[in-house]
Amino acid sequence: MSRRWITAATLLLSLAATAARADTLVVCTEASPDALNAALSTANTSFDVTEQIADRLVEMKVGGSEVVPGLAESWTISPDGLRYTFKLRHGVKWQSNAAFKPTRDFNADDVVFSFNRMLDKENPYYKVGGGNYPMFAALVQPNLKSVTKTGADTVVFELKSPLAPLLSTLSVQPFSISSAEYADAMLKKGTPDQLDLNPVGTGPFQLVQYQKDSLIRFRAFKQSWVVKGMPERAPRVDNLVFSITRDPSVRFARLQANECQVARYPNPADVPAMRKAKGVKLAESTIASVSYLALRTDKKPFDDVRVRRALAMAIDLKSLVDAVYQGTGTPAAALVSPALWSHNDSLKPRAYDPAGAKKLLAEAGYADGFSTDLWYIPVARAYMPNGQRAAEMIQADWAKIGVKAKLVTFEWGEYLRRVRLGEPDVAMSGGTWDYPDPSQMMLGLTCEMVNAGRNVPHWCNKEFSALVQKANVVTDPKERAKLYYDAQQVFYDQVPGINFADARAYVGMRDTVQGFKLHFFGGQPFGGVSLTK
Amino acid sequence: MTGRLAAFWRSFAENRGAVLGLGVMGVLIVLAVLADVLALHSPIEQFRSNFLTPPAWQAGGDWAFPLGTDDVGRDILSRLIHGARLSLVIGFSVVALSLATGTVLGLTAAFAGGVVDVAIMRLMDIVLVFPSLLLAIVIVAILGPGMFNAMLAVAIVTLPGYTRLSRASALSELARDYVTATRAAGASTRRLMFDTVLPNCLAPLIVQASLGFSTAILDAAALGFLGLGAQPPTPEWGTMLAGALQYYQRAWWVLAFPGFAILATVLAFNLFGDGLRDALDPKLKR
Repeated sequence: MSRRWITAATLLLSLAATAARADTLVVCTEASPDALNAALSTANTSFDVTEQIADRLVEMKVGGSEVVPGLAESWTISPDGLRYTFKLRHGVKWQSNAAFKPTRDFNADDVVFSFNRMLDKENPYYKVGGGNYPMFAALVQPNLKSVTKTGADTVVFELKSPLAPLLSTLSVQPFSISSAEYADAMLKKGTPDQLDLNPVGTGPFQLVQYQKDSLIRFRAFKQSWVVKGMPERAPRVDNLVFSITRDPSVRFARLQANECQVARYPNPADVPAMRKAKGVKLAESTIASVSYLALRTDKKPFDDVRVRRALAMAIDLKSLVDAVYQGTGTPAAALVSPALWSHNDSLKPRAYDPAGAKKLLAEAGYADGFSTDLWYIPVARAYMPNGQRAAEMIQADWAKIGVKAKLVTFEWGEYLRRVRLGEPDVAMSGGTWDYPDPSQMMLGLTCEMVNAGRNVPHWCNKEFSALVQKANVVTDPKERAKLYYDAQQVFYDQVPGINFADARAYVGMRDTVQGFKLHFFGGQPFGGVSLTK
Repeated sequence: MTGRLAAFWRSFAENRGAVLGLGVMGVLIVLAVLADVLALHSPIEQFRSNFLTPPAWQAGGDWAFPLGTDDVGRDILSRLIHGARLSLVIGFSVVALSLATGTVLGLTAAFAGGVVDVAIMRLMDIVLVFPSLLLAIVIVAILGPGMFNAMLAVAIVTLPGYTRLSRASALSELARDYVTATRAAGASTRRLMFDTVLPNCLAPLIVQASLGFSTAILDAAALGFLGLGAQPPTPEWGTMLAGALQYYQRAWWVLAFPGFAILATVLAFNLFGDGLRDALDPKLKR
């Protein structure tokens, strides 16, 4: 068994090597996807895979934050915001694989199937995915009543209550359309799990092979509608390979050796070297992310806003961001990233002022300071590249105003679990937006979420909650932006969390790579990317 | 007595590596004891205008930080000096703990025999079955990360060596005539154990302990590296290495010096232990 695998792997490697001379784009990625169908996942590694294979009703402009038509050519929204009617594209071809040859084009049945499989517990495919569709359950399900077909090319979404960010939500990879015909065929064959393990879609590339922790191979799907319908995502190379390379320094080394033409998620400390490296260029962009140090507003001594302000003032944020982000971030004050609409640019980080902080603490009755635990994230994230160093610097800064912090961390999964359970008093938190709507991160900080585990500071502020809830219902973009703008001011004044930085993301690539646009909402498209000889 | 010591020193001094090891150990002990005087800065003070300053002899270096600074501006030399103190404390505590417990367990097994012997030795076999570092990780995972727990974990995993060694030598001593004579003279079991038999089993235990020192330091550093040992900002060498990993292409000094410190210390203790074994073992005497 093992020898056969080794032979197969060697063969493949040599194939890959020869194919490299043909039109093959090798991308060094950071980890294996936890599922090949993004509907089952919340991880970007999965979104990246599904982005190549499948399409959504609506798409996000590559490298932008604008919703454009995808499998739906056009749509209308009823005045009360409860009924979305999608007019579907014609002549969209499905990919095939060894077990399945499509006999028809994409139609309304596929859309209804793709959503009912997540919505309807009676659907035979509901259980196939384990019944766990996290993005759907968190973002759409609470508002969705039904998805029905009203014609071969018309689908209607009925909502229980208005959901302003629905369209941009639907552009994220977990809401991709699967083939109902493929699902039926696999069900008849008795292998329904193939739908998720060996997905077929309508997108620019079709899946050829997946080896866990090693590689994912795709082949261009030249009949895809995107060739004419969305040229910025059209396949421009014959083969696409994700070569899974965990260590960022190894990804950089492989990029220099031209073993891969694109290396994602470089180590921030290596960015200056990458700028200087020969034959290598960098794509960079401020990503829509937020990272902050959450303070438990329902517990002493953090229930006093003066204490929270003092703690914020006592952190030398500028040097922290310099040391931790290594030039890949700028100190932040607003909850919504400048990469996103409604960013409140009137907010500035609090000036570093230990003396003022000490005075505020004394006013609040903590002249001698206090002791607390400080939880830091154990892994590098785009929004927080080095949690431990950040924690050590905060610890040193706080010691100057008499606040003794004990550093605590756990393995990543355990950390997230304990934070959800509300164990820490002071904990690092953050995330990146999957779609360009402030609601994704803002909703988590409302009163309703205090016991749901997403509100890390356990912060219940009536004003903030009212603003955010209202913005989730109103459909006028200008009015929504104003509501979020005001909500950020409340967050800033009440300090349930101390913002760290607006992070920048980088992708290293060879000079030969053309047309790559860094896309930070959901999966990264490699359609539209070509190689010059 | 002085004659015996001199003879011991002569045979020890024949081994140049062992003397070198002893020398390095001496330097380390001086550094550890005088850390507060010798270190230029506090090991946890962060100089916010000196992130990743290279070593003094390199371009951009600063003699205020002879071996450079790490990514939050802490002086690496001062951290290494204070780290030496920690490493010696760790080595000493672990060896003391496992030597004491192991010897008592081994002697008990040898003297009691029967079920007690079987129970103790099988328990030690079980501990031995697991790779030592993995077992240490499991123990720390149960107790929670921290320097004290890491020391406890390393002490537990090094226990079987001392237990088996002391049991084996005690058993061979027990058959000797002088033990029978003491017993006939009416000595209590405790007196037999600690006053009669133990002193004659000491030589191999001392050698094992001196070698165990380096194992203890290495294992504690490994646990620190995995984030399970000393917690930041403690200047423990393994913890320093773990925090510096992402800079290995950009700032070699953050990584190289703690690594070298571990290497030198472990090597010194190993050389010293080897020399000690050669000097104490009559069979190896020329």
